[in-house]
Amino acid sequence: MDTNSSSAQQPRANGMANLRYGVYNQPSNIAGKTVAEVRSQFSKIWGIPNDAVAYCGKDKMDENSVIQPGQNIEFHRRAGEKG
Amino acid sequence: MNNLDPKRFILVGAGGIGNWLAAGLVRLLEWKYPGSGLIIVDGDNYEEKNRERQEFIKLGNKAVVKATELVAHFPNTTIIPIPKWVVSDDFGGVASDENTPKITATQLIAENDVVFAVVDNFAARKIIFDAAAKLDNIDVFTGGNDDDLFGSIYHYQKRDGVEITAHPAEFHPEYNFPPDKNPGEMSCQDRAEIEGGTQLLATNMAVAAFILGRVQKTIVNNQISEETEIFFDLGLGKSEPYNRNNVNESLTVQ
Repeated sequence: MDTNSSSAQQPRANGMANLRYGVYNQPSNIAGKTVAEVRSQFSKIWGIPNDAVAYCGKDKMDENSVIQPGQNIEFHRRAGEKG
Repeated sequence: MNNLDPKRFILVGAGGIGNWLAAGLVRLLEWKYPGSGLIIVDGDNYEEKNRERQEFIKLGNKAVVKATELVAHFPNTTIIPIPKWVVSDDFGGVASDENTPKITATQLIAENDVVFAVVDNFAARKIIFDAAAKLDNIDVFTGGNDDDLFGSIYHYQKRDGVEITAHPAEFHPEYNFPPDKNPGEMSCQDRAEIEGGTQLLATNMAVAAFILGRVQKTIVNNQISEETEIFFDLGLGKSEPYNRNNVNESLTVQ
């Protein structure tokens, strides 16, 4: 799976923030974008589902929240279920 | 409690992950904490179809069979099987259904226990975490995997009534709204219809290994771990730790 987001269509952005989902962790040029835009950008390459909630620390972010430079954004991944 | 004192480990689930975890936990107790107890809890039975991913010496209840196997080799550890399903406190019929023996989570776990919740559903894990949250000093490790090469583990810890790490439901809505059911709270017929899926041995073993690594760091070495939750993907060769601590990570557990 290609985890490099540079080939994806890039909406406006004005700085770096860190993005995480499951095993993925990547500084990305996503500051200035909304959560919805970032989800759309990374959904295919990282497999982020539509119901994965975005958090900045313990603060839940809605889809229209604008990501700030330096923020650490995490789309929460569902835990492993079986065993 | 002195870190060198004997421990009481409670392993809930002796299946795909739990049977490998049991092998590691009993060795840890036998040589690091002689005189400790390992309680194995499972209401399910080993069946021939389980041999692809699980090791057992005979067919029968998982808790009883696994305890019987380990007792013969680890004389310094008291190993007790509880062949029951773990259910919530408010579940009706705990004593009335003789065909499905049950124990409530609060009957099972107590202060200073180290609990391993490696059942195959979020509903039962939630019951165990909620019971643990009522105690002042407790460690609960959980882990699970999908049908492929992805898995994750989580460590919930309380000391002196303070949640050192967050309750996993804070980060995982699947605990509050589980897509599954606790087999202990299903009918025998419904339980028999649960599909085992297509889990992989490697992923089951990896979950057990990651949990044992956390136990080594946080219980044996008595360190607060920044790696409260770990996601891994054996196919990608990646693992990623997440800090779910509520307290300053530089603190040391007393």
